[in-house]
Amino acid sequence: MAHTLEIRDYTLDYATPKGAVHALEAIALTVDRGEVLGLVGESGSGKTSLAWAILRYLPANAIERRGDIRLSGRDLRAATPAELGAIRGRRIGMVFQDPGTSLNPTLPLGEQLAEVLVRHRGLTRRQAWREGEAMLARVGLKTPADMMRRYPHEASGGEKQRVVIATAFACQPELIVFDEPTTALDVVTAGQILDLFGELQAETAVASLYISHDLALVSRVADRVAVMHRGRIVEQGEVGSVFADPHEDYTRHLIAAVPRPDRRLVPAGPTAAVAPLVEIRDVGVRYGRPSIVDSLLGRAARSVVGNRAVSLTVRPGEILGVVGESGSGKSTLAKALTGLNRFEGEIRLDGRRVTGIGDMDRDYRRAVQIIFQHPDSSLNPRQRIREILSRPLEIYGDSEGRERAAAITDLLAQVQLPADYAGRFPHQLSGGEKQRVAIARAFASHPKLVICDEITSALDVSVQAAVVDLLVELQRRHGTAYLFITHDLNLVRQIAHRIAVMYRGDLVELLEADAFDSPRHPYTRTLIDAVPTPAG
Amino acid sequence: MTELLARLARSPQGALGLALVAVVAAIVVAGPMLAPYGPDTMSVLTRYQSPGVGHWLGTDQYGRDILSRLLYGARATVLMALLATALGTLAGACLGTTSAFLGGRADEAIMRTVDAVMSIPSLLFALLIVNLLGKSSLNALVAIGIAFAPGMARITRSVALAVRKQDYVSAAIARGESSAYVVFREMLPNVVAPVVVEMTIRVAFAVMLFATLSFLGLGAQPPASEWGLMVAEARRYMHLSPWMILWPSLAVALVAIAFNLLGDGLRDALNPRT
Amino acid sequence: MSLAYLLKRCGLILYTLAVVSLIVFAITQVLPADAAVMLLGENATPEALVAVRARLGLDAPVWVQYGHWLSGVVVGDFGVSLRTGLPVAPTMLEALGRSLVLAGLSIALMLVVAVPLGIIAAVRRGRLADVAVSAVSYIGVSVPEFVTATIVVLLLADWAQLLPATGYVPLTEDLGRGLAHLVLPVITVSVILVAHVSRMVRSELVDVLHTDYIRAARLKGLSDRTVLFKHGLRNALLPTITIVALDVGYLLGGVIVVEEIFALPGIGRQLIVAIQSRDLPSIQAGALIMAATYSLASFLADMAYAWLDKRIQYD
Repeated sequence: MAHTLEIRDYTLDYATPKGAVHALEAIALTVDRGEVLGLVGESGSGKTSLAWAILRYLPANAIERRGDIRLSGRDLRAATPAELGAIRGRRIGMVFQDPGTSLNPTLPLGEQLAEVLVRHRGLTRRQAWREGEAMLARVGLKTPADMMRRYPHEASGGEKQRVVIATAFACQPELIVFDEPTTALDVVTAGQILDLFGELQAETAVASLYISHDLALVSRVADRVAVMHRGRIVEQGEVGSVFADPHEDYTRHLIAAVPRPDRRLVPAGPTAAVAPLVEIRDVGVRYGRPSIVDSLLGRAARSVVGNRAVSLTVRPGEILGVVGESGSGKSTLAKALTGLNRFEGEIRLDGRRVTGIGDMDRDYRRAVQIIFQHPDSSLNPRQRIREILSRPLEIYGDSEGRERAAAITDLLAQVQLPADYAGRFPHQLSGGEKQRVAIARAFASHPKLVICDEITSALDVSVQAAVVDLLVELQRRHGTAYLFITHDLNLVRQIAHRIAVMYRGDLVELLEADAFDSPRHPYTRTLIDAVPTPAG
Repeated sequence: MTELLARLARSPQGALGLALVAVVAAIVVAGPMLAPYGPDTMSVLTRYQSPGVGHWLGTDQYGRDILSRLLYGARATVLMALLATALGTLAGACLGTTSAFLGGRADEAIMRTVDAVMSIPSLLFALLIVNLLGKSSLNALVAIGIAFAPGMARITRSVALAVRKQDYVSAAIARGESSAYVVFREMLPNVVAPVVVEMTIRVAFAVMLFATLSFLGLGAQPPASEWGLMVAEARRYMHLSPWMILWPSLAVALVAIAFNLLGDGLRDALNPRT
Repeated sequence: MSLAYLLKRCGLILYTLAVVSLIVFAITQVLPADAAVMLLGENATPEALVAVRARLGLDAPVWVQYGHWLSGVVVGDFGVSLRTGLPVAPTMLEALGRSLVLAGLSIALMLVVAVPLGIIAAVRRGRLADVAVSAVSYIGVSVPEFVTATIVVLLLADWAQLLPATGYVPLTEDLGRGLAHLVLPVITVSVILVAHVSRMVRSELVDVLHTDYIRAARLKGLSDRTVLFKHGLRNALLPTITIVALDVGYLLGGVIVVEEIFALPGIGRQLIVAIQSRDLPSIQAGALIMAATYSLASFLADMAYAWLDKRIQYD
């Protein structure tokens, strides 16, 4: 019997003004009924191009050099547009990365599900609507009839992704392509979606191609895995054997880069006996101010709480992890500490009281530095790296003239960048390199505390690993304390001495890293359970 | 800069716009030197001539050479429009940046007022101001500048607010930089590019507006060879000699097309996504 | 949409009108023209001038004059025209009616032509049809009304003798001839709007056709037609509403020029006449009415947008 999906020797180029770019090279893979093939790779590896090739949704500049793509023996490359229309949605379903953008904002969710049933199964609108409700119930939505009528903006990310999944499964397709279906979701929601995927997969025996950058996740959901690198499949096999005994250097490198809670990267931290570096006492942040209409109508100001009375201490030289979902208030806390948000309560730095932005003098700012999530946005595109790095040296008054040039070279060396990068503009650097520059800028003032706000989440796994190694190295050399904010539990458990868990603006728990597996708060438990740990 | 020009020349519209604007600039600078006759040289013998040898674009009711008048008139039209746009941009950019920087209630008050002023159509606003100041080229220039200021303020503000949200600005504030440093060193260089694009497109509009004011008799005054005025004067002889009205009309449209093309080309060239 | 939002929006309209009235009053009042001299002529005796100034309230401080004028405006009294001696309000409102016919027909023509053009250009992006639409719209946005008017008159009235070049016949009097007189003005006003709006529809639709949800719709196997009309167009036309509303400001400017050229007795022509004869009450009334029309148009556009776009929850 033919494989559900079979790709043989498939080679794809993109025509660009600078000549052909090789996107895919001699791809060969199969997916059978009831099987999940995980397709893993970093950005630019070609995994997304492969998905578009299977769905026959290639851009105009794509050149297919050779090879076959077959669905249950049928050559998809030979299919006419009309035939493709009958195959897509009917025989091949797709689940996209971000349910926020893959649903039409101006149509009700039910309509977007029902239209597939009308198109492919010839149901009337009324039948399709009823069938749709049943499907929404099947994907675990509590009030399906109500959900059918809602618009995308009236549903949460998890609810929307369930609708997208229901749509993909709607016509009982032979193959479903999952393109990073949990990447845009919060940790806990992502865990629930994964559970749903497992159930539906087992029940329908659909063949699944599961694309992801997350090795830990793929090791949990897939039967077999194919590792992509620069347009090639470098290794393919059973999940257990690939992870336990990788044959290729690249696979080994990739697996080693995945954060594992059991592999600690830092020695034990300072104990509670030392005097704290920073004490955060009842720090709260509110957003919003009353509008004119509100005050006219005598309504209370609807301010949004960013943080509620958070109290926390950071010890000198300690790495304090802060975890939580988006909206939990982790970044708000970072902004309060660096004077980017007004706050209530007080902060003590080396015992000195700071109760407002006005109290943050040069010494405070020099001691407390921040690194942001997006390296593209945190470096001014119109300044050269030299200018970017020399500014903190200038205002914190360390060096001058020739000495400053040497200091910049030294900073670049500390973050393992060549000295001639000083003359470059940010857009001439890769994402990881830009983040290194941002790190160098933070360390220019010899700070005592560096706040890292999700600084690796925009980076690829292997780049992330290198940046984390660098941070650990800098911490060892300078004894700097970090407030390490992240949503990645595996990562934080690798490097943090203590971990603070935040939930909807509250600090719910503060744990020693080695006690993280036995939390007291139920939310922490939920969080841990939702995160897949790497296999092997 | 050279990189920008290269990017600009890559798109057909950018390249065409750049070429046309270069020609217009050359005419503004060297027009009077290129003109075969003076703008006011009259001759009874050569009235109402069709285009031909000697007078390539024909002559008008006083026998003046139309090509020469157009070449001289480039300054009266294009230069004035450029200055008017520059004036409006400067005023608007200052207002918009200030508003974005002040934020809160002050920002809201300024922007609501700007919205209110923008509810007066530009042409009407310019008409009212010219009426106040008196009919002349210079007053038309000032009027267009003032009429443009609210729109430019709005655009500058929205660009400035977008830049304000960037992390490099947060980084500067967290570093303890002064407001002046943040505004002039971190924000301003990033605000300039989109504002220049908008300004280029506005030049096209200013040329049209300036010519319209002159056409209505409220801008340049006879015997100036301003293009809108030339059209107005030629209307009486429209049936007799359509060339007289055609050339200055085409001149206005061509300059406007040139700046529209250049503006769109610049927008694409400055867009980091392409 | 909440009551608070409606209140806020109405408050904004009032604020707009207050600011506009202040600007208009300030500009006209600083005019170097003496209303009394205009009324009585250059040879009036000083005593007569003083008497007239007292009667018109011109001897009071400026802000008292403004208050006096504004209190009249609130009840629909814009004063008496210095040129004709008739009350300004009825003349202006009658003229406004004629202008609204011109403006309304122009908007209708614009929508009928511009939206399909924009759709064709977006769907055939990069092909001949797109290039043609782009070229035409570049020319369209770059040609001022007085040039367009000249060209259409030369072509359709002079050369082809199809339509009357100037003049006005009320629609209520003779619908056919009335419309015939409106054809050239409507075409002239529409050209720039068509060019602008078709470009906007094109770029909005091009953006929408590149979104994830359009890709998702195609990958569900829906036909090109369904994808375009059900998923694409609705999202692309929403922002166009706002653009059309903004263009109303430009349209009103165009109306001034076109009415002047085609001798159409609308509010634009009234304004030009008033400006040329320095008829202050008429200028003030005309400008204020135009600004009010624009404010109302953008208010209606906001309401339409809110009604059509389910995402927006005004508060």
